[in-house]
Amino acid sequence: MNSFSFSLRAIVPYLGELQTAVLVTLAMSLATIGLSLAIGLVFAVLRQSRSAPLRWFATAYVEFFRNTPLLVILYFAYFMMPVIGLRMSPFQSGLVGMTLHFGAYMTEILRAGLIAVPHGQYEAGHSQGMTNFQILRHIVLPQVIRTIYAPLGNQLITIILGSSLTSAIAVNDIAAWMQTTGSDTFRYFETFLIAAIVYAVLCQVINLTRIYIGRALFPDNR
Amino acid sequence: MTQAPVLKIDTLTKKFGSRTIIDGISMDVTPGEIVCLVGPSGTGKSTLLRCVNGLEDIQGGRIVFEDEPVRAHSKKIIDVRKRVGMIFQQFNLYPHLTARQNIVLAQVVVHGVDRRSATERADELLARVRLAHRADAYPARLSGGEQQRVAIARALATNPHMLMFDEPTSALDPETVGEVLAVMREIAEERRTMLVVTHEMRFAAEVGTRMVFMDQGKIVEEGVPRELLAQPRTERAQRFLQSIRH
Amino acid sequence: MHETYGLLEYMPSVFRALGLTIWLSWLSLIIGAVGGLVLALMRTSGWRVLSVPALLYVEIFRSIPILIILFFFFYGAPLVLGINVSAFAAATAALSAHASALMTEVIRAGIESVGRGQWEAAQSSGMTYGQVMRHVVGPQSMQVILPPSVNIYIMILKESSIASIIGYVELTATGLLIREAHGGGFAILGIIAILYFIVCYAISLAGGALERRMKIAGSGLHMDGTR
Repeated sequence: MNSFSFSLRAIVPYLGELQTAVLVTLAMSLATIGLSLAIGLVFAVLRQSRSAPLRWFATAYVEFFRNTPLLVILYFAYFMMPVIGLRMSPFQSGLVGMTLHFGAYMTEILRAGLIAVPHGQYEAGHSQGMTNFQILRHIVLPQVIRTIYAPLGNQLITIILGSSLTSAIAVNDIAAWMQTTGSDTFRYFETFLIAAIVYAVLCQVINLTRIYIGRALFPDNR
Repeated sequence: MTQAPVLKIDTLTKKFGSRTIIDGISMDVTPGEIVCLVGPSGTGKSTLLRCVNGLEDIQGGRIVFEDEPVRAHSKKIIDVRKRVGMIFQQFNLYPHLTARQNIVLAQVVVHGVDRRSATERADELLARVRLAHRADAYPARLSGGEQQRVAIARALATNPHMLMFDEPTSALDPETVGEVLAVMREIAEERRTMLVVTHEMRFAAEVGTRMVFMDQGKIVEEGVPRELLAQPRTERAQRFLQSIRH
Repeated sequence: MHETYGLLEYMPSVFRALGLTIWLSWLSLIIGAVGGLVLALMRTSGWRVLSVPALLYVEIFRSIPILIILFFFFYGAPLVLGINVSAFAAATAALSAHASALMTEVIRAGIESVGRGQWEAAQSSGMTYGQVMRHVVGPQSMQVILPPSVNIYIMILKESSIASIIGYVELTATGLLIREAHGGGFAILGIIAILYFIVCYAISLAGGALERRMKIAGSGLHMDGTR
């Protein structure tokens, strides 16, 4: 009955496509982190705003996307685009969904970073005659970057893992490679193993790079 | 001695909501004066300094620093701040910068000094506050007294026309108060204009040229520090001085 | 307008599907909590034979996408083991595996939050390891364990949407089916998203309230000076 034998030979012809798939996963993840950082910065500032409607709007955004599944948001973005008349590739609509979802998490990370800078730091900058922009650039942002550095690294890993769901809306990433190769060769176990290793290696490389760069950038940190 | 004042404060009023913190204070500071502001806590001494630096907006009266009106959110406020050095109770050193970098930053970005001369100036000042050996240390690695001395050096770096100290020793451990006061004494000997909020009465008596006693947002009494301390004329000053002697 | 009206007749099946989503995620959380407890005890045992495998398990399941774990159970396991695995079983297995990795870290942090003094006091009164865990350390660590567990539950509930990919008809899959039956559009997916939001947000509010109550009840808990 059980005739399972482990063999990687059937997978070899598909390794070239795996390379492209890895690049797609990386492109999706890096684009998401860049865009969600931008969105997060806007909403983090809005959450501190003096205007109550703006604060409410930003909070609603964060709470909604933190409490809905990424997969549903991806489907929503994917099916909405053609209806509202936007012709987008699966990659593009996937990026929209990813950015909306992870932007909410990024808002919270950045907000925590901004809150961590004490009021006295702004005052010290002002008392020395700095402009608001100089204070932001020389005093606040360097400190925010320090606080959010580690959570940001974790977030990048979460984003890479989460990007596998874009395979459900026809993005040709590593997870999609795994599904097509698995069903083509019927070597599910082997393809899954390879995909798992690729993801795990990506995550660990990022993790180690983060720690290494962190030590170089902030030698004084704690 | 009849020089034009550096700082003119005219019937200044500051409110937080409906609470009046500063209630129509007028005072001038002339060059070379060392004015010590004393009085019970919560009577608006620190708020007064913060108003002079434009960190607080004011509800009435006028503050003029060297012919420049001080207004909290005006563009011109930066011109005032460039000429005034401020030392905070909580030091407020920039934690991501070393002691030396803390002193360099505003010289470079606010005053346009080139980085090399700014660094030289920083090292010279660090030596003066006896912290040359700590130049590369981050604030987290410095004691409170060391941090405050760096903060003083940071304020001196741009040659301000007036220095303001907001309870510079109140957040310090008792054993490091002395080292900070010693540095302040040396600066006072250079006849710099200083406005100091403090509870250190001995320091005020020995270093101050004038003592201003404040209570409930008003100036209650002022005079030569030794005289005011020895023979306060008002009952409120007497009661306050009694309370801190015990 | 007309489109949204037409969707109303599907609502009974949507709510039934929501029930399945909650059932699937709840079951996975329970299995995950039991697994996490075992793994956390292994992690804190002080024996490398036990702590290293537990650490590996946690690291592996935290750096592989849940989708791959799901596919492994659904497509891979039948081939390797020669058994048939239903979509529900595969989804439960994958979600439980992920939940147990997350719960391990939370429970470990809970156990480690109880100071050494508590161990020494309990052991000096003659309690065994099991008794100390059950009567002394366990109850005290709950304050640290419960609040993040609520977040893990929310996470698993959201993650359970991937069961739709292998054809288990829970809330997300139901939304996709209705969309097709209804001739496209995206409104139904908006409704599905809002349903997820209502459930998850309600749970997180309840979790926040629980956390506040435990903080009040638990103040004065750490009397050994460790915290």
